[in-house]
Amino acid sequence: MSQSCLKLTAYFGERQRAVADRQRHGFLADAMLDLFGARDVATSVMLRGIASFGPRHVLRSDESLSLSEDPPMAIAAVDVELKIRELVDDVIAMTARGLVTLERAQLLSRADAIRDAGSRDAAKLTIYVGRQERVDGIRAHYAVCELLYRHGFAGAAVFLGVDGTAHGRRYRARFFSRNVNVPQMIIGIGTPAQVSAAAAELAAVVPHPLLTVERVRLCKRDGELFARPQQLPATDDRGRTLWQKLMVHTTEATTHDGSPIHRALVRRLLQSKTANGATVLRGIWGFHGDHKPHGDKLFQLTRHVPVTTIIVDTPDSIARSFDIVDELTANHGLVTSEMVPAVLPIDGSPRRGGTRLANFDY
Amino acid sequence: MTAAVWVGVLLAGGIGSVLRFLVDRAVARWAARSFPFGTLTVNISGAALLGLISGLALSRDAALLADTAFIGSYTTFSTWMLETQRLGEERQTWSAAANIVISVALGLAAAVLGQWVTGRL
Repeated sequence: MSQSCLKLTAYFGERQRAVADRQRHGFLADAMLDLFGARDVATSVMLRGIASFGPRHVLRSDESLSLSEDPPMAIAAVDVELKIRELVDDVIAMTARGLVTLERAQLLSRADAIRDAGSRDAAKLTIYVGRQERVDGIRAHYAVCELLYRHGFAGAAVFLGVDGTAHGRRYRARFFSRNVNVPQMIIGIGTPAQVSAAAAELAAVVPHPLLTVERVRLCKRDGELFARPQQLPATDDRGRTLWQKLMVHTTEATTHDGSPIHRALVRRLLQSKTANGATVLRGIWGFHGDHKPHGDKLFQLTRHVPVTTIIVDTPDSIARSFDIVDELTANHGLVTSEMVPAVLPIDGSPRRGGTRLANFDY
Repeated sequence: MTAAVWVGVLLAGGIGSVLRFLVDRAVARWAARSFPFGTLTVNISGAALLGLISGLALSRDAALLADTAFIGSYTTFSTWMLETQRLGEERQTWSAAANIVISVALGLAAAVLGQWVTGRL
């Protein structure tokens, strides 16, 4: 059965501590996952990013040793609307600085037809599987990418989680462990028909599938511009702020002016002063365009893994940031845009957004 | 060597490494480029400082504290190498080569300049 769900995503710096109350004194990331574990959240995953900046325009990057001391974190949690709504206030209360977003998603369990199958827009299929789970004898993430590639998806990327919950159980990566069930997140972009077919097949082959589907717009692929992000008004008809998200899928191998696209993109967005933030996640396996799924090898001089740059901002800023994205992805990359119904930037100062979900039919 | 010198090495080394972290981070954030300007700044300023101190006729213990402990922990060879490797890994071959050449050239010049300055005093 397919259910209407919410996806909560939090972006912040790894070394940040949870706002102290009587129980919590540790790192914010741990406190958040403790909360998700205690509330049996259907699926959540903690991802460690490689570069980011926020509204204060302070760069975090793994390029320099000193700047990689406090890497960016992205934590996503998906469950039925009621459960996520109950969590939001706690997540906000423990966060001193960061960005919390809420998005609508459809959680699929078994062989559901997805909604909006006839829509002109594209769809984003997210699959959560354990690190060592196997499908037909091979590691699940290889099998899933192969399957998405076969279905003609525009792209897919696998992100390694370091902590998370699956089907309500907490799985945290440890150094001396096979980490069988520690979740990985696989994001695939395809047409609604492709997503529908792939979801049905995945539900049949993956032992305990956790799949979500979201509506996105395919803006660019391998340099070809299909559509700019939707031009959304600043608020919906009830005055709730609308937000947008751009996801730029590139690889370490695609460069712009001699440096990888994601490095150039973060630098340009940071210099632009109009973008309020961006986070870069490095995947371990994936593809976009017509290349077969690829990743790093044991012996290599240069990296081949996929990289995704996430930009969440107001519709105005997204329109300006898209010009920069468009310029840097002149030959490579997969760019999608989507509406984000609720965003809350947290930084002590007066808060602009809110967690009331906006509604806008575009 | 007395216990006081050992403690001195610990402290001077600690201060040097904290100073490097602060300088490196400040420069890297300010520059916001792929090229590791933070590490370059630390290594060049360290080389100049070492040239300067080596020109002074310090006692053995004072030289140990200033050179080996303080400058030794302030400058970094390993980070220079690691960041060069990371540049290469991300296909920024020119930046990687420049990082080696510029560091060596400026570093030598800084050390010579430091010594020249103390020679004039």
